[in-house]
Amino acid sequence: MDEFEKRLKRDADAILAEASPELRARIHASLQSTSQVRPAGKKAEPAPANLWWASSLTGLAAAIMVIVLINWNRADSVPVPAETIADVTVPADPDPLLTAPMLDIRTADFTSPLEDELVKLQSDIEKARESVKKDLDFTF
Amino acid sequence: MFTDEQLVEASLDGSAGAFDEIVGRYQERLLRFLLTRSSSRADAEDAVQDTFINAYRYLASYDSRWRFSTWIYRIAIRNAARQRRPEWHDSDVELVDDSDPLKECMAHSERENVWLAAKRLLSNDSYDAMWLRYVEDLSVKEISSALEKSASWTKVTLLRGRRKLSTELAGTTTAAEQRQSYGRI
Repeated sequence: MDEFEKRLKRDADAILAEASPELRARIHASLQSTSQVRPAGKKAEPAPANLWWASSLTGLAAAIMVIVLINWNRADSVPVPAETIADVTVPADPDPLLTAPMLDIRTADFTSPLEDELVKLQSDIEKARESVKKDLDFTF
Repeated sequence: MFTDEQLVEASLDGSAGAFDEIVGRYQERLLRFLLTRSSSRADAEDAVQDTFINAYRYLASYDSRWRFSTWIYRIAIRNAARQRRPEWHDSDVELVDDSDPLKECMAHSERENVWLAAKRLLSNDSYDAMWLRYVEDLSVKEISSALEKSASWTKVTLLRGRRKLSTELAGTTTAAEQRQSYGRI
């Protein structure tokens, strides 16, 4: 604190400011007739301890009930033999025949005797072979 | 010895004597400050009374992150501003008029009280900032809060006020020394 600051403080102290008894009495009387304004909702009342315990225990009981019900339903719906569980540790590949898509199979409608059909098929094969040969010649 | 903040808490909890203790601590400090701001001692006492009533009524809204002195001075400054303000920058004759509450202080001192010079030279806000800094030892941040100004405004105002007062006091001293030297001659 330098000299200037000391002088500011000293001169402030030099101002006579003793509170008169009348002023003290006035302030006291005013405060007696004044009530404090409490802002609504500023200080919320803390919840009672009993309510905390009750809510905790209810939550715990509900969680236990859910766990029991889930396990109970699972035991009813999946009856797995004990030996299956013991033997199979790795899931086996499923049978491809069982998982193959269903085919739309229709019976052949033969209207001619088998020999005629055989001739027609051979002729179709011959035509196809010639067609392939032409395509190959044309390509290379 | 309880702090101001502890007394506030006790008062909010219903202790009747806690706020009386606060009144005892602050009544003369506030009166001294308000005497320099008001046009008469009666006005200053009214402002002190209003300050304590407002503080008590709205004590629940006090934010304990700030010093209690910051908060109560803010209330005092508002109360002083509501009163009819004297013209501070009028002639010196008005300042030494019978109605001036600082007349008694001047009568007891051979030299001019520096706060009278401050009252004459500085603006109201600047005067308040100087008082809070050098009499109440509030920090710049606390003064900013009390005056509801920015920290940079407070710093600049304090610097300018100090410079202006120092210049004035230096000039007064020089003139007095000159008068003494003239007298010797």
